[in-house]
Amino acid sequence: MQVYKALFKIIHKNLPQITIYIFSFLVVAVIMSNVGSNPANADFSETRVNIAFFSYDDSALSDGLESSLSNITNMIDIPDDREKLQDALFFREVEYIVRVPKGFAEDLMKGKDVKIEKIAVPGSVSEVYLDNVINKYINTAKMYISNMKGLSDKQLTDFVMKDLEQKAEVKLIRKVEEVSKSQKVGYHFNYMAYSLFAVLILGVSTVMLVFNKKDLRNRNLCSPITPKSMNTQLILGNLSYAVLAWLIMIMPSLFMFGSFMFTAKGMFFLINSLVFSLSALCISFLISILVKGPGAISAAANVISLGSSFISGVLVPQELLGSTVLRIGSFTPTYWYVKSNNIIAGMTELTLRNITPVLYNMLIVFGFAVASIAVALVVTKQKRTA
Amino acid sequence: MIIKVNNLVKRYDDLIALDHFNLEVKEGEIFGLLGPNGSGKTTAINCILSLLKYDKGTIEVYGRPMAPDAYDIKRNIGIIMQNVAVFDELTVYENIDYFCGMYIKDKKKRRELVEEAIEFVELDSFRKFLPKKLSGGLLRRLNIACGIAHKPKLIILDEPTVAVDPQSRRKILEGIRKLNDDGATIVYTSHYMEEVEEICTRIAIMDKGKVIALGTKDELKGMINSGEKITVEILEHNPDILEGVRSLPNIVSAEFNDNMLVAKSRRGKNNLSALLEYLRSSQINVGRIYSEPPTLNDVFLEITGKELRDHA
Ligand SMILES: Nc1ncnc2c1ncn2[C@@H]1O[C@H](COP(=O)(O)OP(=O)(O)O)[C@@H](O)[C@H]1O
Ligand SMILES: [Mg+2]
Repeated sequence: MQVYKALFKIIHKNLPQITIYIFSFLVVAVIMSNVGSNPANADFSETRVNIAFFSYDDSALSDGLESSLSNITNMIDIPDDREKLQDALFFREVEYIVRVPKGFAEDLMKGKDVKIEKIAVPGSVSEVYLDNVINKYINTAKMYISNMKGLSDKQLTDFVMKDLEQKAEVKLIRKVEEVSKSQKVGYHFNYMAYSLFAVLILGVSTVMLVFNKKDLRNRNLCSPITPKSMNTQLILGNLSYAVLAWLIMIMPSLFMFGSFMFTAKGMFFLINSLVFSLSALCISFLISILVKGPGAISAAANVISLGSSFISGVLVPQELLGSTVLRIGSFTPTYWYVKSNNIIAGMTELTLRNITPVLYNMLIVFGFAVASIAVALVVTKQKRTA
Repeated sequence: MIIKVNNLVKRYDDLIALDHFNLEVKEGEIFGLLGPNGSGKTTAINCILSLLKYDKGTIEVYGRPMAPDAYDIKRNIGIIMQNVAVFDELTVYENIDYFCGMYIKDKKKRRELVEEAIEFVELDSFRKFLPKKLSGGLLRRLNIACGIAHKPKLIILDEPTVAVDPQSRRKILEGIRKLNDDGATIVYTSHYMEEVEEICTRIAIMDKGKVIALGTKDELKGMINSGEKITVEILEHNPDILEGVRSLPNIVSAEFNDNMLVAKSRRGKNNLSALLEYLRSSQINVGRIYSEPPTLNDVFLEITGKELRDHA
């Protein structure tokens, strides 16, 4: 295990540089958790969100929705004008806009599919909450329509209103708190992509650059160690390093979010980040073959980890990025990792159907790992024959 | 025969680095491979170690064909590369332990061997140092310790004294002798003829990828026509004596260098006494007298027509 041991000594010597990234992650993680904590944990009725409500349907059902929303939000009076609304959203004058279309009540009572248009600040806690309230309203109405034939618009609304008053509130608040917490965990894990990637590129490239140095390589080739043993030790070493780096990086989440990390959702965050680590490890291995010197390593670590984070929605939410940027971002595993985190964070219920896209994304992230190794093998083969 | 190389040909594109190179190294000798920079010494060593593919020829070590996967052969070779090959991130001790550990698995035995190697190259007070903190000479000694810690029976040193201070050079040469005394067969490459003359029992002189002369240093010197170089201090300067000296049998050339008469002789007996006899009979007072036997440089010069000396 000489090679394995030497590998960790090399990492050890480069620890100061690596620690910077771990430390910066810690600082940001702590800051973000403090910033985000108050509104989510406070009593919900005190923090009413501003919304805009437009109804083009003259019906009791529409009025009912308006009044049940007004109980839990501040309705802001602004004209239904595209530009004005966009400004209002941007400056957070409103966080949620509801538009009830004409014929809403009529369609609903005929059993047709109805759509309430909504625009929201992406990823906000209130979005999830209000989506829930509206869905509940419509679903309750649908339930009455299908079970009690011949109800008038007014009767239906009365039933729905009474129903919702009784049970909705408490249950929803619990859900909202849960979602807002997992949203916070989601941000935390998203941001981890940057530091984890940088740490892996730095470590793996530094080590591989040493072992690939021509003189040392030749010297190692003179000794009676088989290439198989050499490679096994290097792979094992890098893998251990990646798992170790991952363990260190998830530590803060265990301290900060505690038992949440041991719920099914928490586990998915952890598994997702582990899969991402392995993928980043393989990409780092490829980078280590391509870079020439120590200077290039830290440049690569910065550019690749930061760049991929930026275009994949780590620093700026994916919803706010242009479609071209996202399309480029989708060529990095970070994009799919972040996407998964966002899905996990937004889930109100953990079902197979909810989780399938996450598993699918993990498969893509894993695909990046396989592809990088394949390219790395081709490149090394070409280098050897050149 | 420890090493047997037969008609080795190695090309780098148009350049023929080894041109039907032959070599036989016997057990227990210090074999010198002497040649100017670029003559193909390192290429030959790297081929012998299976680090390079070659175009033609055969290489046997310990009587068996050498190959990249001949691990039992590799286990018994100690290699000191021309370029220092150590880990910058590992200390002196850790470096020696790493390379020794490639050969010796037993931890206790390895610790002893590493300690011995440290003592051997006298790096005891530097054991915790990183290679970057070592001077050129100490670094070379670390490189050697890494190569010999596992006590190999065959030790190959490729220019181990390049860019080394005289003190370290002395130590390195003494060390090589000692390794040989302890039973190791040594292959030593250098472009410094003085070193090779000093320690090697047999010498192959290389030029342009070929061995151009082979033998002990005396055998090599016996191969050429030049004899000793005689230098005599002439107390009264008299240009006429040059003619007389030049006409002596066996004297090839005679020059004045200030008041020193420098005469080069052909191989033969009594050259010095004949010259002195002539000077005395011409009643010329002489001061100091030196006689230098031919050097390997003379051998190289006579065979190739160029100097071996490193003018850099
Ligand atoms: N990798 C290489 N590619 C092309 N030419 C090389 C290479 N390595 C060595 N050579 C050439 O081969 C010749 C022998 O080099 P080398 O074996 O290093 O000589 P020495 O060790 O005696 O100084 C030199 O002319 C050198 O330029
Ligand atoms: Mg050389």
